[in-house]
Amino acid sequence: MTEAGGPDEKPATVRVVIDGREIEAEPGAPLLQVALDHGIQIPHYCYHPKLSIDGSCRMCQVQIQGQKKLAIACNTPCTEGLVVDTRGDEVADARRGVMELLLVNHPLDCPICDQAGECHLQDYSFAHGSHHARTESPRRKGLKRHPIGPRVVFDQERCILCRRCVRFTQEITQTDELRVFGIGDTSHIGTLESRPLDNPYSVNVADICPVGALLSADFHHKRRVWFLDTTASVCAGCANGCNIEIGTWRNEIQRLTPRRNDAVNDTWMCDAGRLGYGFVGAADRIRAARVRIDGEQREVSLQNALDAAAEALRQVRATHGAGAIAIVGSAHLTNEECFRLAAVARDEVQTPHLDLAVPLGTSDAFLVKAEKAANARGARDMGLVPGEGGHDLAGIAAAVEAGEIRALWVVGSRDLEEVIGGERAAKVAAALEVLVVQDVQPSYLTAAATIVLPGATWAEKSGTFTNHAGRVQRIGGAVTPPEGVVVDGELFARLASALAGGAVAAFEPAQVFDQIAAGVATYAGLSHLVLGAGGRNAGAAANGEA
Amino acid sequence: MAARVTQVDREAVRRSTGALGVAATLRGLRVTSRHFIRNLWGWMVGKPQVRTVMVPEEEDPKPAAFRGMPVLVALDSGKERCVACGLCEWACPVDCIHIEPGETVDEVERYPRVFDIDMGRCMYCGLCEEACPEEAIVMSARVDISAFSRAGLLWHKDQLLTPASQLARRLAYIREDYGRR
Repeated sequence: MTEAGGPDEKPATVRVVIDGREIEAEPGAPLLQVALDHGIQIPHYCYHPKLSIDGSCRMCQVQIQGQKKLAIACNTPCTEGLVVDTRGDEVADARRGVMELLLVNHPLDCPICDQAGECHLQDYSFAHGSHHARTESPRRKGLKRHPIGPRVVFDQERCILCRRCVRFTQEITQTDELRVFGIGDTSHIGTLESRPLDNPYSVNVADICPVGALLSADFHHKRRVWFLDTTASVCAGCANGCNIEIGTWRNEIQRLTPRRNDAVNDTWMCDAGRLGYGFVGAADRIRAARVRIDGEQREVSLQNALDAAAEALRQVRATHGAGAIAIVGSAHLTNEECFRLAAVARDEVQTPHLDLAVPLGTSDAFLVKAEKAANARGARDMGLVPGEGGHDLAGIAAAVEAGEIRALWVVGSRDLEEVIGGERAAKVAAALEVLVVQDVQPSYLTAAATIVLPGATWAEKSGTFTNHAGRVQRIGGAVTPPEGVVVDGELFARLASALAGGAVAAFEPAQVFDQIAAGVATYAGLSHLVLGAGGRNAGAAANGEA
Repeated sequence: MAARVTQVDREAVRRSTGALGVAATLRGLRVTSRHFIRNLWGWMVGKPQVRTVMVPEEEDPKPAAFRGMPVLVALDSGKERCVACGLCEWACPVDCIHIEPGETVDEVERYPRVFDIDMGRCMYCGLCEEACPEEAIVMSARVDISAFSRAGLLWHKDQLLTPASQLARRLAYIREDYGRR
């Protein structure tokens, strides 16, 4: 998991011996992390690589040669000649003791606990526990399913007081909502009455909670984790490009969780991004192509709609010239799709009027970026910018109202409405002869359109996004699109062949990316394989950076 | 019990069946008829020589170890004991169980909003019963599975719920059987 530094900044290393294995480590690095990085499993609860060291759970105790007592591995810095044993009888005894104490008051809730299946307490209980309870007094009662914040559910009985969540609100969000109240046996996590856990990153505490004490309200009692299929992807909520895992069950998204990438989001993601997947399976999703026939939109086959769109665009071009057609792209498209769309605009439609509609929103100094689309930078890199003598977005809207542009092809209509305003969008729609809208959700423009093409969401595509800082990252298709819907890149390919004639060249993201690497200077040297799971910075390959 | 092994001379069998297997058919009919007449006679004189259960009017008693259709245990309140933990769904080798969990205001916060078993797929292996941490799904003695459509073979929660009193024998059996291990 550690990022390899450059050769010049590599510090002198120390040698430590863990379970007889000699390991080169950075001086002062936590022994626990060094062991984990080398595949030596030391059980732990309170230690988290992105939080300060607490040492409260006592689970990571190891035997260090020359020391009488066991030491906690998380708070032991690596020094030269450290000899460590993580498997001895004394260590096993200590772990069993810690497990017994942690389980004294832990309820036997596993069958109804969302954490079951990914619970550290459960795993370590099997691996290091004694499987027997020696206490006879009843377990301590506490708050159950308490809404500690609008998006987080708290179960006090399950808490083992590792204080990961407390440190998260102190160190990462610096909002300080969670505290440990009481002392000794009455200690418990809580919030001040007037301050619920309501920060934009609150659900991360459910991820870092090693037990089922803090849970995502959205995922509460939704699906057992062992039924989920996970797909590595990137959040589509804003331009930050947080790495995520999409958890799906029978082709339905169940949850999004952050995936560690120290160059982008560490191990965090914002609540808005995490919970913003509802549109993928929404009931009002556009699932069929529609064409306006005698003033009324009717459902037709995708191929018929594409033929109708091509015919309409051809007619406008024949009567008013190619300059009477404009294309508004979407920053939600992958790089591969943007590259294909730019090619269609240049070669088949032959219009210079091409731009992007990028919705803007709030941002903060941590992860949330103002551009509320994942791939605005990538789309511009791929050439979704006005051509020579072409209008930009405002210019296109003005030209439509002036009657110069007669046909408009919009990908992502809600973004356009948001950027130019609903009233302006209505005026634009009224002034057009042909309005082709390609989208996943209904909007004013889809209702006003001549032709509606069903698009696909990011969760249904594989390809790449380029984040605000120019990091190119792969996304993976986690679910298959609804029946009859194809990814947008495929639509561009089919429309191109409907416009120009000839066979349809299938849309293969990896192959298109190779064309991008050959055609866009900053992407030279990159490929889906090179990008891997964590992505690369555009232009980095040329400069020899990681 | 020692296994009884009968050596069969395949050639001899083939020879004895003769043309079109007429002889074999007649031999079979003789066995069937003999049993039929003997049973009929026994029944007529009130001394039946074989045990006959008049299904479906009469119920065939099953041993406690018998695995029939899996059903859900209903508490006295009429609610299910199941908490929708999903372990039976996971254990099921033929994937015939479908559970949608939900949340209640009861003390145990989780319950199955939907609990479906596709009886057309179930193979009565009993792994669901063994996996269940709540003694909530047990193999009943019921085998009367029949329906006019495939959809009718999909049993929903209200059909599966069976009072615990009717399942007492099986519950005692599995407690002893699984508890022993």
